[in-house]
Amino acid sequence: MSWHRTSRKYHKWLMLFIGVQFIVWAFSGAYMVVMDIDYIHGDSLLAKQNEHIESKQVNYSVKQLLNAYPEAKNIQLAMMLEQPVYHFKIANKAQLVSAKNGKFLSPISKTLAVEIAKQAYVNKNITVYAVSLISEQTSREQTSRELSVRNLPVWRIDFDDFASPTLYISVNSGKLVTKRHSFWRFFDWMFAFHVMDYIDESADNNLLLVFTLLALLASIFGLVLTYFRTIKVGGKTKPKAKRKDGSKSRAKVKPTVKARNKLPIVDIVKKVNDD
Amino acid sequence: MTKAHLTNTIDVEVANKARIKRRSKNKSFVKLSTIKMLHKWLSLLVFIQLFIWLGTGLFFNLMDHDKARGSQYLQALTTIEIDHHRLVNITELLAQSSKPVVSVDLVQRLSQPYYLLSHEKGLYQHLYQDNSLINAYSGQTKQVDDVMAQAIAKASYSGSADVVAITLVHPPIADLLKEKNSVWQVDFADEVNTSVYVNANSARLIAHSNDDKRFVDFFFMLHFMDYSLLSDERGFNNWQIMFFALITLLFCLTGLIWTIELAVKGRYKWS
Repeated sequence: MSWHRTSRKYHKWLMLFIGVQFIVWAFSGAYMVVMDIDYIHGDSLLAKQNEHIESKQVNYSVKQLLNAYPEAKNIQLAMMLEQPVYHFKIANKAQLVSAKNGKFLSPISKTLAVEIAKQAYVNKNITVYAVSLISEQTSREQTSRELSVRNLPVWRIDFDDFASPTLYISVNSGKLVTKRHSFWRFFDWMFAFHVMDYIDESADNNLLLVFTLLALLASIFGLVLTYFRTIKVGGKTKPKAKRKDGSKSRAKVKPTVKARNKLPIVDIVKKVNDD
Repeated sequence: MTKAHLTNTIDVEVANKARIKRRSKNKSFVKLSTIKMLHKWLSLLVFIQLFIWLGTGLFFNLMDHDKARGSQYLQALTTIEIDHHRLVNITELLAQSSKPVVSVDLVQRLSQPYYLLSHEKGLYQHLYQDNSLINAYSGQTKQVDDVMAQAIAKASYSGSADVVAITLVHPPIADLLKEKNSVWQVDFADEVNTSVYVNANSARLIAHSNDDKRFVDFFFMLHFMDYSLLSDERGFNNWQIMFFALITLLFCLTGLIWTIELAVKGRYKWS
């Protein structure tokens, strides 16, 4: 068999089995690069935060805080709903204390979480339509794709806006954990499909390896075909022999399979007529 | 009706059906030939990048993911107990600050507590930020100089190689594409050419990088077509990848239609 015919045969057969993944790669890849990555990350969902700390409001000092909580690590003074607060950690668990009066604030209530989310959200006219508490105990399925377990527990706040935006507010720190929307969710699926994350959880899975190797092989055969049909055309190859390969001219010369199958019936009818 | 009449009618009907079928087939054949022509010529346009995608994709699949992090010699920075009796009061610092403050972090740099005053910060650490680093015991402002950057880099480095260069670098930084801040780059003379990056404004340890990571970064550049042909701006959503991604999608779809046509025509036969 010639290089041309061999390549045609294997390109045809390999693509029958892995062609669908090529579509998946091409579609998911195109989606991921065409969508602006900052938009996908939901950066545009958030209002610019520039609340400045008023020194007069801070009546509870870091000294007092460390006196009360000697184990406190990663201490941060910041504003939360126009009030100064201390964020810190004790044995990796987030804590929240008012910097005004030293009142312990975590875990934060549903009402407070909604207020924080509303303040963080870019459009103040949009209403919140659902709020739910997600902890390690509650169903992981719905959240496992959207945020990492180490951020739990969180308040999930869904906004009634384009692309179903969701803000996650940490129950312990009152901080925004992450933001998600439909286009992110779709992007996440597209990435999973792109790396063939159907079974395994990472990009180094064997399914992907096998498909990539087969895809390379099929593409090499495809490249040979490209050579013969676009570059070498009009060169060595005889025009007639070349035309036989093209299905367009074949259709004119030979009847198609279906048409051929029809022939016997016509023949029988003709025979009956002749009789 | 005679037998001859009946067969004649059938004959005419069959002939009509065949004609209709032939006509519709001819019509769809025009489209199919266009699709096949597209497939052939698009293949010429995309094949180089297609092989780059498959090759780099294969590389990502097989590469050592730990090595790819570039943190072969990264070790955790040690912290000490803060003597809170010695801490300067934040309110005084806030009152003294010439710029507004959005947050204050009690951080440690080289076993010394500092208040990190953020005057401006973005959603992520790599975005532009403006800070003041203030000694939490003395209240004095600390400039992050090359000596401090080198000491932090060394503290985070578990290898035994010496520092060969300290440079203040500004974005765009090849090793840290997203970084929008000026950083100190501390280079070590080890076998993987480790570079340690320290934020020149906050003295925060940003990352380690080395030749292994640079090698992987090169493959990512190829996969994302991030060649920065027309501008210095590098990034994920560049025009060349958008163009080629859409062309490739069209290329794959024409191939899919061709495959379906082959299957419908019964051209997939074991022989």
